[in-house]
Amino acid sequence: MNQSAQLPPQLSTFAPDVDWMYLFLFWLSVASFVAIVGVMVYFVFRYRRRPGVDAVPTGHGNTALEIAWTFLPLILLVFLFHEGFRVYVQESVAPQNTVDIHVRGMQWNWEFTHSNGVQEFNQAKIPVHTPVRMIMSSSDVLHSFYVPDFRIKRDVVPGMYSTLWFEATELSTPEHPVHVFCAEYCGAARGGTNGAEPNTNHSTMMADLHIIPQADYASFLREAGGPPAECAGAADDVSVCWGQHIYEQNGCRPCHGVDGATQAPGPNWKGLFGHDVALEGGASVTADEAYIRRSILEPQAQIVRGFGNVNMPPYHLRDQEIDAVIAYMRSLDQ
Amino acid sequence: MTVEAEAEAAMHADPHHIPADADYLTYERGWKSWLTTVDHKRIGVMYLISILLAFFAGGVFALILRTELLTPGRTIMEADTYNEMFTLHGAIMVFLFIIPSIPAAIGNFVLPIMLGAKDVAFPKLNLASLYIYWVGAIFTLVAITQGHIDTGWTFYTPYSTRADASAIWMTIGVFILGFSSILTGLNFIATVHSMRGPGMHWRRLPLFIWGTYATAVIQVIATPVLAITLALLAMEKIVGVGVFDPALGGDPVLFQHFFWFYSHPAVYIMILPGMAIVNEVIATFSRRKIFGYMFIAMSSVALALLGFLVWGHHMFVSGQSEYATMVFSALTFLVAIPSGVKIFNWLATLYQGSISLESPMLYSLAFIALFTIGGLTGLFLGTLSTDIHLHDTYFVVAHFHYVMVGGTVFGFLSGLHYWWPKITGRLYDERWARVAFALVFIGFNVTFLSQFVLGSRGMPRRYYSYLDQFQPLHMTSSGGAYILGVGFLVMAVMFAKSLKSGEKAGRNPWGSAGYEWQTSPRPHPHNFAEQPVFTRGPYDYHLASERELFTGTDAEWDTQVAKKAEA
Repeated sequence: MNQSAQLPPQLSTFAPDVDWMYLFLFWLSVASFVAIVGVMVYFVFRYRRRPGVDAVPTGHGNTALEIAWTFLPLILLVFLFHEGFRVYVQESVAPQNTVDIHVRGMQWNWEFTHSNGVQEFNQAKIPVHTPVRMIMSSSDVLHSFYVPDFRIKRDVVPGMYSTLWFEATELSTPEHPVHVFCAEYCGAARGGTNGAEPNTNHSTMMADLHIIPQADYASFLREAGGPPAECAGAADDVSVCWGQHIYEQNGCRPCHGVDGATQAPGPNWKGLFGHDVALEGGASVTADEAYIRRSILEPQAQIVRGFGNVNMPPYHLRDQEIDAVIAYMRSLDQ
Repeated sequence: MTVEAEAEAAMHADPHHIPADADYLTYERGWKSWLTTVDHKRIGVMYLISILLAFFAGGVFALILRTELLTPGRTIMEADTYNEMFTLHGAIMVFLFIIPSIPAAIGNFVLPIMLGAKDVAFPKLNLASLYIYWVGAIFTLVAITQGHIDTGWTFYTPYSTRADASAIWMTIGVFILGFSSILTGLNFIATVHSMRGPGMHWRRLPLFIWGTYATAVIQVIATPVLAITLALLAMEKIVGVGVFDPALGGDPVLFQHFFWFYSHPAVYIMILPGMAIVNEVIATFSRRKIFGYMFIAMSSVALALLGFLVWGHHMFVSGQSEYATMVFSALTFLVAIPSGVKIFNWLATLYQGSISLESPMLYSLAFIALFTIGGLTGLFLGTLSTDIHLHDTYFVVAHFHYVMVGGTVFGFLSGLHYWWPKITGRLYDERWARVAFALVFIGFNVTFLSQFVLGSRGMPRRYYSYLDQFQPLHMTSSGGAYILGVGFLVMAVMFAKSLKSGEKAGRNPWGSAGYEWQTSPRPHPHNFAEQPVFTRGPYDYHLASERELFTGTDAEWDTQVAKKAEA
């Protein structure tokens, strides 16, 4: 049994250390078990009852042997304690320059608040290769913030703050985010019939961590927020103004024109929304809210015919931001 | 009148005199004689029936849980029902079955006989403890019929104080059951100290008694803490005194300290008696004195004491101080020492023995193997770095089932098969006993080995639904549970057949040197018709007479003696 048969992917800096210890203990256990049960089975066979052969009386025992098997295991146990403790100290003491994210557990959702005040529900952007500290509390009962891929866990307690930290080592994809589980039992709704649905009870109190490049997180912290100040006094719809702002800030313009003319390298936004578009592969789809949203989050899912060789990266916009972009898109056709 | 005739006349005049050939089951008849009995053996039998009913109920809940977990999402029930089921499974198994199983049922029956005593020190208190157990069980049943107890057997706050009020019925039930446990413990301590027969000094005590004695000490010291905790919980729930609920100014982590301050020692209330039975069985079926007798006896005492110092290892991620966590981790590793001492001494007892593999021995050998797995996987959880990952996952579920079922329940089954002829006066069908053993052993391992892998891969416990990737292992585990269920069914039929038409047992069917086998097949109401005097240890096979080790009935012995005389 190797690492991958027994343990989740290693996606934090702690994971290799924890896994080393786990596998050490595993093989130690296998060896001890085989030795103990092997000796037992051998004795049971070797000294099976036979007519005319009596057991040899035990006598007064063997004090030296007793002392040996009482104290020799102690050496191993001290080693195990020390190794486990060494990693635990690293897990307990966060470095000075962490990125801090506040986490609130509530039946049965996780709310993440970034340092720019932006909140995310049941998902969070996390910068890769960066020490991130979670400052956690609960607004109702006990929860526990558990990320198997990071090998970390900490109870989330009402009335106090608990913290943990980690450093993610790999980017995630939208299809395979890093899962957060709740590991402390927190109940279910009485009479509920949707227990398999996300965030309806303890067993589905999950969140997705999206591990993104440091630069993306930095620009998210800098730029994401509510609508920018200049939109507050906008004559027309605030959403449209905000959407245009996002369009400019995220660098959509170089690829996506808004004048209905230029067609490269991405589809022009004017005359797009609400119309049927032909896709690569032959199908067609109505460019509605759902399609636009998916095209922002998962650009490779449904590609408009003629743009198959363009590799647009996913943009992890918040729901409100996507709404604003759509509002802007619609305003182009009015 | 001669002196003898005078004595005989006086005996017949005594209304309390019991003839020498009477046995405890048939000496008095009718349900009233059972409900008012102070005979420790009858009380033990009533306990045995009660805990077996509880075990059946808990087992049914377990099978329902495993069926629901065959698929992610709904299989047969909704999430809230599932949560109630696992709460009932845990609470019934822990408080109504495992804790009273070996001490109150088997211990009650065997302990005074082993000591050469007529009864326990306080026979009426013994009966009272049974009645208290029944009252506690009724409160628990009321809670079940009221429904909606979904806190888990740990009753963690603030969920338990915010959930439905019937959690209070359940906790009152557990509170009452605690008193039953305390009284049994108290009785055993007093009995071992004051009722040992002539020649029964401390170094001759059967190791079953050492184990039960250590257990009794924990019961008396730790159980009151549970009562205090549940009383505080009830006060918070009923009167609104803020102790644990932060909304009222309390501290939820405090509840966990209180709870585990009892419940960790309670782990030793559960496992020590199982180990105690294994000692007796291994000695009998190896025909050999237990190796390192005093070290085994003292390791039980050491476990009882260490058990009080490690409660914090249930709370490594709870938010307790990092320094406390460090100390509890270090202390936890010490528990491995006395556990290892026992295993090594058992192996040394097998060495140069004369080993036979009847069903009690099979269960005891299985205990060694399964408890070894339970103990070794405990190292993963005592080690801080790995525990952070494994805490509250299926790894923990598998670990404690290996200790509680692979350990305690296998020990209990070993004892039940071992003392069955003494309790019922009948033998059972050994072939079917072995079939049941094989099914239980295989079913258990399939059920819980797969759960270790589920846990290490990151599947949290108490989950109604789960990610698709975990389904194959969940199905394997459920399959094992069904095999386990069939095994218990076979065992139940096998024992029922023995009761109905089993062959009559001799006084010592296993040829044991243990003292309890020297009394009649079903013991005399006063255990021994005449006060026994102990001149050897309970495992001294080389000092025991041929008569003492004879496995047949008394009639067969007489024939054998007559034949020898003829020759």
